[in-house]
Amino acid sequence: MSQAAPSSQFDRLTQAAAALSRGAVWVGGALTLASVFLICFDVIARKFFGYTVGGADELSSYAFAISTTWSLSFALMQRANVRVDVIYQYFSPRVAAFVDWIAIVALAVFIVMLTRYAFEVVNTSILQNSAANTPLATPLWIPQGLWFIGLCWMVVVLALMLLRASFALVKGDISTVHQLIGVRSSKEEAKEEAEAGERLIREERS
Amino acid sequence: MISTAISLLLVLIGLSIPVGAALGVLGLLLDSLYSMLPLSRAMGEMAWGTNNEFLLVAIPLFILLGEILLRAGFADRMYSAMSLWLSWLPGGLMHANIGASTLFSATSGSSVATAATVGTVALPQIKRYGYHEPLFLGSIAAGGTLGILIPPSINLVIYGVLTNTSVPKLYLAGIIPGLMMALLFMLTIIVICILKPSWGGKKIHANWVQRITCLADLLPPFGIFLLVVGSIYAGLATPTEAAALGVLGSLVLAAWTRKLSWRMIRDAIESSMKASAMIMLIVIGASFLNFVMSATGLTTVLTNSITGLGVSPMLMLFIIIVFYLILGCFMETLSMMITTIPIVAPIMIALGFDPVWLGIVIIILVEAALITPPVGLNLFVVQSLRKHGSMTAVINGALPFVLAMFVMLALLAWIPSLALWLPSVVE
Repeated sequence: MSQAAPSSQFDRLTQAAAALSRGAVWVGGALTLASVFLICFDVIARKFFGYTVGGADELSSYAFAISTTWSLSFALMQRANVRVDVIYQYFSPRVAAFVDWIAIVALAVFIVMLTRYAFEVVNTSILQNSAANTPLATPLWIPQGLWFIGLCWMVVVLALMLLRASFALVKGDISTVHQLIGVRSSKEEAKEEAEAGERLIREERS
Repeated sequence: MISTAISLLLVLIGLSIPVGAALGVLGLLLDSLYSMLPLSRAMGEMAWGTNNEFLLVAIPLFILLGEILLRAGFADRMYSAMSLWLSWLPGGLMHANIGASTLFSATSGSSVATAATVGTVALPQIKRYGYHEPLFLGSIAAGGTLGILIPPSINLVIYGVLTNTSVPKLYLAGIIPGLMMALLFMLTIIVICILKPSWGGKKIHANWVQRITCLADLLPPFGIFLLVVGSIYAGLATPTEAAALGVLGSLVLAAWTRKLSWRMIRDAIESSMKASAMIMLIVIGASFLNFVMSATGLTTVLTNSITGLGVSPMLMLFIIIVFYLILGCFMETLSMMITTIPIVAPIMIALGFDPVWLGIVIIILVEAALITPPVGLNLFVVQSLRKHGSMTAVINGALPFVLAMFVMLALLAWIPSLALWLPSVVE
């Protein structure tokens, strides 16, 4: 029983993180759709009314940057990371679990470094009061800050996954490691794509 | 230096570390090994600069466009329209597979989704009309690959960004080779079915009344293609703006077919955000690695040592083709492109190849990777749709189409204007 408690707490934490990550993706999606409308409005106004709203490209670029980092953790939890499984597929489950663990450590190293230097970008913008060299003169710390928050959340989720995977690995719980951070093989991925295609056609015919 | 870098990369990729992280970590390692200055500090600015690039905004938008159109519910009718027009040819519905894939490609930048959708509609017809199963399966897998050659294509946007090549020019350059390749695929089917008439299935009859009335079903995808590609060349929009217009158009279309719902939008958003975040992670990792490589002089050393071999351009082209074919056996297509193009493109351009032309050649090589074992994603998709039998049937069926791709490559090497004529005319 003493072992069950922390893992169920972990489960709750993971579920909460998953829910929050999904929410973050929707925000990213909403920003993307907003960019779509803004850009379209800009193009149509420019063509037919000969006047430019201006800033559509700038704002949608910010939206893109923010939605990218805000979607990272969702992609991580869905195991959407692109990984090469040429050698991996021949590993025994035990070795594969260990390799998965190394992979997530490497990902964490990269993301933590990225976040650290991203902080300097935001910090510099705040200290120097930098504004974009555009008519809008957007204070850069705002989009950069939001972009940075996405990276921070990715670090939190990575830490959580790493902890959970480490515990599972130490306990020898290979299947949990695979479920958490294993490679989705090309076949698995293809199967999901195929199922998605079938679902779409079924819905189309209904 | 070169051998250390390459071995490190192989180890990182071999350990199946996520490609974006593998490139980023390699950059960090090379920085600490070979650089006097702390290059890593530039990582933040580099990531922000890349992630904030308006041209790259086209990536999530094109993915979203494809995801919405897939859900807009016209795949079925589009396929039957294609079959009414094309199934009189020897090989029957296999031409509809290619035709429907071509039209789908003109609205979507993804090869896998094209194969999955067309495949779902087409597969039940194998038994019904008695087709030779492997060839039929192969035509679906091969047709799907057209998705990344015929504009709009996400892969071409990435090539354009990595090599500083104009994306509108690349899009124009992809049209003729894309259509020619579709024709070559159809020609392959015709030749095979003339040699082996029993493979072509039962005759399907269609009359002109049916043919004319079904044209209406081809209009929606064609309209989106015109909106996206047309607005670029009418000087109305940049590629990113065209993608946004396409998304709006696809939303209107989905509303018209009564498929627009919150759930549909949510699904489309989740899968497109996920895909574009992963692509961007690789792009950010690659841009940092390229920065470290050029700052430490590794890029120059590498390029010089390869150009210093004194290999003739044509032999180099041959080497590159073999290189991509081998690499394509191991790597997923987008990460393969992002990892190799920063090295391959400068070498080839220094040898006098046109960057636009080279982009099209690399895309065709990537397409070949999609339908060659062991990691041909389109082969797996078709196999999963069919749920029985062995993978070998799909692999064998796709083989003639791989040959057709080589014919296309040879044609492109022989007559470069197949790709370059259209961009030059529009200028």
